[in-house]
Amino acid sequence: MAANFWTSSHWKQLLEQEEVDVVHSPDKERGLTVEEFKYIKMHMANYIWKLAQLVKVRQRVVATAVAYMRRVYTRKSMTEYDPRLVAPSCLYLASKAEESTVQARLLVFYIKKQYSDEKYRFEIKDILEMEMKILEALDYYLVVYHPYRPLSQLLQDAGMTDMTHLSWGLVNDTYKMDLVLIYPPYMIALACIYIASVLKDKDTTAWFEELRADMNVVKNISMEILDFYDNHKILPEDRTNAIFNKISKS
Amino acid sequence: MNSRNASGSSNNYNSNPNRPAWLQQYDLIGKIGEGTYGLVFLARTLNQPNRGKCIAIKKFKQSKDGDGISPTAIREIMLLREITHENVVKLVNVHINPADMSLYLAFDYAEHDLYEIIRHHREKVSQSINQYTVKSLLWQLLNGLNYLHSNWIIHRDLKPSNILVMGDGDDQGVVKIADFGLARIYQAPLKYLSENGVVVTIWYRAPELLLGAKHYTSAVDMWAVGCIFAELLTLKPLFQGVEVKATQNPFQLNQLEKIFKVLGHPTPEKWPTLVNLPHWQSDQQHIQGLKYENPGLYSVVHLPQKSPAYDLLSKMLEYDPRKRLTAAQALDHEYFRIEPLPGRNALVPSQPGEKAVSYPIRPVDTTTDFEGSTSVQGSQSVPSGNMASGVGASGVAPRPVPRQMPPMVGMQQRMPGPGMTAFNLASQAGLPSGMNPGGIPMQRAVSQAHQQQQLRRKDPNMGMPGYPPQQKSRRF
Repeated sequence: MAANFWTSSHWKQLLEQEEVDVVHSPDKERGLTVEEFKYIKMHMANYIWKLAQLVKVRQRVVATAVAYMRRVYTRKSMTEYDPRLVAPSCLYLASKAEESTVQARLLVFYIKKQYSDEKYRFEIKDILEMEMKILEALDYYLVVYHPYRPLSQLLQDAGMTDMTHLSWGLVNDTYKMDLVLIYPPYMIALACIYIASVLKDKDTTAWFEELRADMNVVKNISMEILDFYDNHKILPEDRTNAIFNKISKS
Repeated sequence: MNSRNASGSSNNYNSNPNRPAWLQQYDLIGKIGEGTYGLVFLARTLNQPNRGKCIAIKKFKQSKDGDGISPTAIREIMLLREITHENVVKLVNVHINPADMSLYLAFDYAEHDLYEIIRHHREKVSQSINQYTVKSLLWQLLNGLNYLHSNWIIHRDLKPSNILVMGDGDDQGVVKIADFGLARIYQAPLKYLSENGVVVTIWYRAPELLLGAKHYTSAVDMWAVGCIFAELLTLKPLFQGVEVKATQNPFQLNQLEKIFKVLGHPTPEKWPTLVNLPHWQSDQQHIQGLKYENPGLYSVVHLPQKSPAYDLLSKMLEYDPRKRLTAAQALDHEYFRIEPLPGRNALVPSQPGEKAVSYPIRPVDTTTDFEGSTSVQGSQSVPSGNMASGVGASGVAPRPVPRQMPPMVGMQQRMPGPGMTAFNLASQAGLPSGMNPGGIPMQRAVSQAHQQQQLRRKDPNMGMPGYPPQQKSRRF
């Protein structure tokens, strides 16, 4: 399994875009749109990233946590599973799964220190309870594959290690989208290499041809990433709060 | 052969309507083990299509330090959810009890394990395990391990009690590697593997670990297999060192000495990276200074030096982890291609007409329920759901020690746990409490002698060895 993505639960659980973009009925009843649903997930991916820097865990832990969070919302509503609690709890669970355990009290401490907004504040016991609920929502599948390893291997193979920094950054940004739920990680890595090579004006046509990767898929992923860069905006705080108010239990 | 009676009701607390919904699918029989992480129970499936099938349910305690689900449980779930192999224990279900935040892992039940099989031969039948059985057990163990290693999983805690063997049924005599609480993927560790603390029970611990290696590989599992192979042959642990406890330092001089006495001293010529190992460098006077007579491994295991069995064993016990045989290489060894050939059912007689050895079945403590509380006379008076209540004088009712059980298992000081009314045996038994003090498993077709034998089990290692483990007194 660890060696073979094609027999993994990750591979078996990949979804179609349409399956990912489903707003669950409790959220829909409160008027949450697909765009807002996506926006909150992106917002929470950023939140996880910020928390991870405070508690000092590596990128792979962040990536696993974000993947958990996105998987949870393919099954659960934000009304029932408050994203502001799900996000740190996913980071907590991911830190254990990736053998870099972070203490819950440390997470709680940093959240309190950094966020004055009461809606972000939770106690240790809230995180521990949510950890269990997340484990259940994930159907106990915890192994997640990421594009980082294939990225390094592919860049080596292509002799383009000079593009590591750029393409690595692109891979990081793919976690602001749902790509990890839809495509195999090596395809996401290829798309990032493709974009990087276009930006750096490198001709990789021959290399891609030799790989015999499905270029339609690579280009589709690339388009999605570029679309994301073109269109995504960080909304002002009051707009973000307005969206959160929709899903907040009163 | 002994077998578990698939019919007939067992435990009285099964009927409690307050049980969580998932519990309704099991008929709880009793406790079969206890370790540092929690308790192990035997239960039967009530739902079709597998009605009556035995299941081992491992309960993980919520850690008291507010650390949520134990990393041990996470590892086990994470790995076993992904892998399937005939020689690896099957995780059939995971359950959560939100009320007390406990986690339950349900496995296919295996009646035997190598610890018990070896002990039965040593203490009961006083004769060695037949060659066919040894070879079949070893082959299947290696087959499961090869699967794990080719999937970049190191088990890290192989020992006889973690190697299960299926009892009566379609899978009789099939080996199942169990207890993945220390196992991990090693393809891309974010930290040094050694940061997980000391791994592998000391007797089965590879020399590179004993010498403080920071990076180690699947070869540590192969060393353990070598030790287990020798133990199957001689019925005695090969390197029975005394563990230095109460220290973070993994340096175990006594265990190293036990190894050196049999295998001779390792040398940098034969094991070039030896000089880089922390304890080899820092403890020159002790390790490097000592000289050992080398009686030879072959004389310890009573094997001719030229036999394929000896060749295989010595290659598993190679000092240099890089030269040590891999599981794949071991499976390919001549030993497995000569008669008797290994088979799927390791427990059938090797010769037609020969009588199969009848191994004892696991003892079950039917007085402990899923809450981990023991039914005690007068326990009805203990309020539920309150830790502190168990400590008060009223709650300190020692469990009546059944005469049949040796003191070790009596756990005289066991206290009723919290929340016990939900599963309280005594309150539902409908029996005068004097009729079956301690709730001895009367329905089970196991002789008292067997029970006594089995319950005297003493496992030298920490952690949860397979299913039946050291019995510990619980203090609240």
